[in-house]
Amino acid sequence: MSNKYRPHLQVLLEDDANRQIANGFMLHFALDTRAIQVLPAAGGWEKVVERFKDTHIGALAKYPERRMLLVVDFDNRTEERINEIKQEIPSGLSERVFILGIRTEPEDLRNQIGKSFENIGQALAEDCADNKCTLWGHDLLRHNLAELNRLSSGVKPFLFN
Amino acid sequence: MIQRLYVHNFRCLENFELSVKDLPSALLIGKNGVGKSTVKLVLEIIQNICRGVNRVGTLVEPKDFACGRSDVPMRFELEALLEKRLYKYELALELPERFKELRVLDERLTVDGNSVYSRTNAQVELLSKPADHTAQFRVDWHLVALPLIQQQSDSDPLHIFRTWIARTIILSPIPRVMKGESNGESLEPKSDGSNFAEWFTGLLSLYPAAYGHIDKYLRQVMPDIRDFLNQPSGKESKSLIVRFKEKNAKMDVFFNDLSDGERCYFLCAVVLAANEFYGPLLCFWDEPDSYLSLSDVGHFVTSLRQAFSGSAQLMVTSHNPEAIRRFSNENTFVLDRKSHMEPTTIRLLKDIDVKGDLIDALIRGDVSNEQ
Repeated sequence: MSNKYRPHLQVLLEDDANRQIANGFMLHFALDTRAIQVLPAAGGWEKVVERFKDTHIGALAKYPERRMLLVVDFDNRTEERINEIKQEIPSGLSERVFILGIRTEPEDLRNQIGKSFENIGQALAEDCADNKCTLWGHDLLRHNLAELNRLSSGVKPFLFN
Repeated sequence: MIQRLYVHNFRCLENFELSVKDLPSALLIGKNGVGKSTVKLVLEIIQNICRGVNRVGTLVEPKDFACGRSDVPMRFELEALLEKRLYKYELALELPERFKELRVLDERLTVDGNSVYSRTNAQVELLSKPADHTAQFRVDWHLVALPLIQQQSDSDPLHIFRTWIARTIILSPIPRVMKGESNGESLEPKSDGSNFAEWFTGLLSLYPAAYGHIDKYLRQVMPDIRDFLNQPSGKESKSLIVRFKEKNAKMDVFFNDLSDGERCYFLCAVVLAANEFYGPLLCFWDEPDSYLSLSDVGHFVTSLRQAFSGSAQLMVTSHNPEAIRRFSNENTFVLDRKSHMEPTTIRLLKDIDVKGDLIDALIRGDVSNEQ
């Protein structure tokens, strides 16, 4: 039985560190685990884009209740990378596609705050559930706030109970 | 919540320590034959003791000694944090020459380091509250003392420990033996799921509100479910029927006619409800991904991990990439063994240098505990 005709979020991420952050995010008690699906890590931001173009654009068009989150490392090239990725998103789908990532890479965030990737994910989920920016406001993450607000307004009603 | 499990000289486990302190969930991975299911077997031995099985010969056999080394005691130690107190149960078994059945060498239960009882050979020393005097008595060497000692109240550490282990959920389910007919009630599920209906009935009988919890989970995984009935089918028996509805069409299905995967959904729903209503519990699920479609594995495992947080604890084994990906480096244990002649080793994935993608490395057979 499939839930793909109900609102749901698919997450396409760059690497294993981001996967572990996503694991922690999904442990939040109020999160509907059936409304989110984390896909296997692509293995690089360019591969995220490649996989998005090859596989997911068609599926997004087919399933209007699907939202897609692309998680990449910005490697200190935030604006440039976001623009490069946005160029690949068809205009008709841009409202349902979101881009988030750490300004450098997840290992830097882990080293700076001394938490495991899973615990980082849990803290980010708590922020989202409580409408706070405690960790999202960190220097390595705060560039995401506008996109996070756009994502929250689109997915929070069905993602968090 | 288990803090530590120590096993020595039992099958492939020699000087084996599983340290899961402060880990609400943990994954055990490794090739076939490395000892993942043996860890489950050890927990089942301790659980059987707490469920009243006390004859050593029915718990372990001489062939269970590692490499047949019967001149060295077999040892089991379990440390668990229950109601903020550290319980430690120790049991050592030996097989003297010319004996056919193992017997107890020593046995002990402590709480926060204080002895509840200790035993050497046949001699048991029991600390009696409130006078703090000790009572001594003798027990047959071939009987484990833990299930024999009379508890004084529900707050007695003996009761707390035995009940917790007895109710621990240890699963390696075989959906075909999970039937919808029950003849009685139980809060002690069997590993293969063969008393699933009794467990389901027992849960709903003691905690009727669990119905809503089960119903909520099932609606997520089977959106067309209408409700389920556990209706009397005889004087003492009940039969589980699942009703589906899609627009104006309705259909009743006997539990026995559900698919293997759908029966596992029911099992998962009861696991989650049990933890909610009489937990926090420990759940050890051997390959929870079996029988599930690939698109459901991740959701299934994540929902278990999400529910078993705080003082509850989840341990699973898996070979399934989707299940493995739902755990992280600090809660994934790699079990490894060089040959059948050598013991199991265990290391956390975060302490192992895995090149590239973990699943690719597992497929290549390159994930090992070699330093």
